[in-house]
Amino acid sequence: MDFDFSDDQVQLGDAVRKWVDKGYTFERRRATEKAGGFDRAAWNELAELGLCGLYVPEDDGGLGMGPVEGMVVMEELGRGIVLEPLAQSLIAGGVLAGYADATTKAAWLPKIASGEALVVLAYQERGARYALGTCEAKATQAPGGYVLNATKSVVPVGDQADAFIVPAKINSQLALFLVERQSAGVTTRGYGTQDGSRAAEVVLKNAPATLITQDGLTALEHAVDIGIAATCAEAVGVMDKTMALTAEYLNTRKQFGVAISSFQALRHRAADMKMQLELARSMSYYASLKLNAPAPERRAAMARAKYQLGQSMRFVGQQSVQLHGGIGVTDEYIGSHYFKKLTQLEMTFGDSLHQLGEVASRMQDTAGVFA
Amino acid sequence: MDLAFTPEEQQFREDIRAWVAANLPSDISHKVHNALELTRDDMQRWAKILGKKGWLGHGWPKEFGGPGWNSVQKHLFEEECALAGAPRVVPFGPVMVAPVIMAFGNPEQQKRFLPGIASGEVWWSQGYSEPGSGSDLASVKTRAERQGNKYIVNGQKTWTTLGQYGEWIFCLVRTSTEGKPQTGISFLLIDMKSPGVTVRPIIMLDGGHEVNEVFFDNVEVPAENLIGEENKGWTYAKHLLSHERTNIADVNRAKRELERLKRIAKREGVWEDTRFRDEIAKLEVDVVALEMLVLRVLAAEKSGKNSLDIAGLLKIRGSEIQQRYSELMMLAAGPFALPLIHEAMEAGWQGDFPGGEVANAPLASTYFNLRKTTIYGGSNEVQRNIVSQVVLG
Repeated sequence: MDFDFSDDQVQLGDAVRKWVDKGYTFERRRATEKAGGFDRAAWNELAELGLCGLYVPEDDGGLGMGPVEGMVVMEELGRGIVLEPLAQSLIAGGVLAGYADATTKAAWLPKIASGEALVVLAYQERGARYALGTCEAKATQAPGGYVLNATKSVVPVGDQADAFIVPAKINSQLALFLVERQSAGVTTRGYGTQDGSRAAEVVLKNAPATLITQDGLTALEHAVDIGIAATCAEAVGVMDKTMALTAEYLNTRKQFGVAISSFQALRHRAADMKMQLELARSMSYYASLKLNAPAPERRAAMARAKYQLGQSMRFVGQQSVQLHGGIGVTDEYIGSHYFKKLTQLEMTFGDSLHQLGEVASRMQDTAGVFA
Repeated sequence: MDLAFTPEEQQFREDIRAWVAANLPSDISHKVHNALELTRDDMQRWAKILGKKGWLGHGWPKEFGGPGWNSVQKHLFEEECALAGAPRVVPFGPVMVAPVIMAFGNPEQQKRFLPGIASGEVWWSQGYSEPGSGSDLASVKTRAERQGNKYIVNGQKTWTTLGQYGEWIFCLVRTSTEGKPQTGISFLLIDMKSPGVTVRPIIMLDGGHEVNEVFFDNVEVPAENLIGEENKGWTYAKHLLSHERTNIADVNRAKRELERLKRIAKREGVWEDTRFRDEIAKLEVDVVALEMLVLRVLAAEKSGKNSLDIAGLLKIRGSEIQQRYSELMMLAAGPFALPLIHEAMEAGWQGDFPGGEVANAPLASTYFNLRKTTIYGGSNEVQRNIVSQVVLG
């Protein structure tokens, strides 16, 4: 049992933090948000740091790293509320490396690692909410592969991604496919989301698709779990910075002639925020350290972690705004953007109520970190 | 970064588990698993079994006869004991006063007091709180006046847990009123059989006699019972409070009680009730998150990089969880948690409990009893003050 980071992991985190501090200023982020919520140049900078290939095996041009490195990186990106969805590259790298055949891997993994191909998970449907097994999308065999008919919602950067990982049913069996955005039959409608990033409605009409795996539910659950662990880590970074901003504000802002950090009601609220932050950090560690566990154990762990993170995000975000007073509800102040990020992350890959249901349905007689 | 215990640590756990299974009397574990009343004999029987093995002072270093375990081994030992249904070790001797005697006592005091603590023969009590000194402990007024080679002690301590069984008591006493309140406090060991010591029970809201008032009326205490230097007692007390800080989170017991909550929920028919089950699920996440928090602190202690600023959170969260599981157990029993029949909380009661489930008898009592957890050991509000200093300076 050991919760220290290796020297390499510390260096990786430092490199990302340096990029965030120098290369991803609030002004740049604001400009990106205005321009639609995604900046391919920033994406390429992440790729140059090797981050897009974090989960791509070394033989396929990636760094071949594991969940702890993923956590370190996502936490730093969270600290800078980076809009570009690196979690999607972790998912695409992990899923294709784990489930696709050699041809598909060779065609896509090097491009994912280099940043040339932005591949995102397009799994959500109107009727399914957060459920993974529910799927209206249909796949039918066609010469040279499959064609898909589907409407997938709230797909990250859906109108600018290069390809989608799409769950669809072959008869009644859920399978996972890769669909290129430029293919015939693909239409997208992009829009901004809560946190200033970008998403799209993606409609597939007889769109040509490459089969990744027939065992679609297994792979989709794995994909979402990679996403949950990444989201938990990202959220810790967002909350860590939120906490720091709030503490700084309480110590600077004066009312009644004194710094408002001298008021016990506010001090106790700050203590409660610290509690939620550290519970969240603990459960983010837990999520990443369970990401390679056998599927049932992994799924249960992700539900527990995401529930805790959701509770923490809600509390830290809302209380940060409250403790800032009026400035906290302005667009001008950076803190409100952290709050919106937390709100969006809480609803990403299953919100707290959904995860609570997952935890409740999986409960055993005994429970603990190792059970 | 690695979640797993080492193979050596896992073997250690197996060994402890086997030993506890072979040595913990089943009548005692039955009581613990069902929250039935533990007698003085139950508690001391288990203490002496541990003492004989050298494990009552399981946190002690080897030079004082302890096993010399590291923080992780201590945790594994405590976990195996808790899950098997062992009573909590009464901490005042082996966990609280012994480390102070080791760190600040002289060799004679160590030779005189430590063996009786290690064996479980001598029952110790804690004399900290006073009627006017709760959270503001440094304001203690119990006076110890030096007269030749003895102190004359006058005053009153309160909330003395299990003081009715106490043979010795360690006290914070005022030896000076000069300077800051903290600088005039001394750490004194007092034989409770001394003339002038009176113990009076305080009956708590659950009807139980767990705590006491202790009065000192011109009690003569040999000066050789002073630990360390006069007026330095506050430093020693702080050392004590910082000791075994993961212990106070009591996460191992929380895991055992979560299992019991699930058993009760199934028996009472609320396990399949979505609203109720969700509350158990929330508690399950709380317990896992607390365990991760504890493991982080333990790992930092083991690796020596003791720079985590999160230990203050453990008491707050641990105590909130204790209160929550006792609350949910009581709610699970519903109307059958209302009857308060004291005899039914003792092992072997043959009466007819309303609703037919005698296991429901102690649920309300435990709920009432555990309200203390957010108050004692520095109230949770005081703990929040401490945490806020970490955050805000």
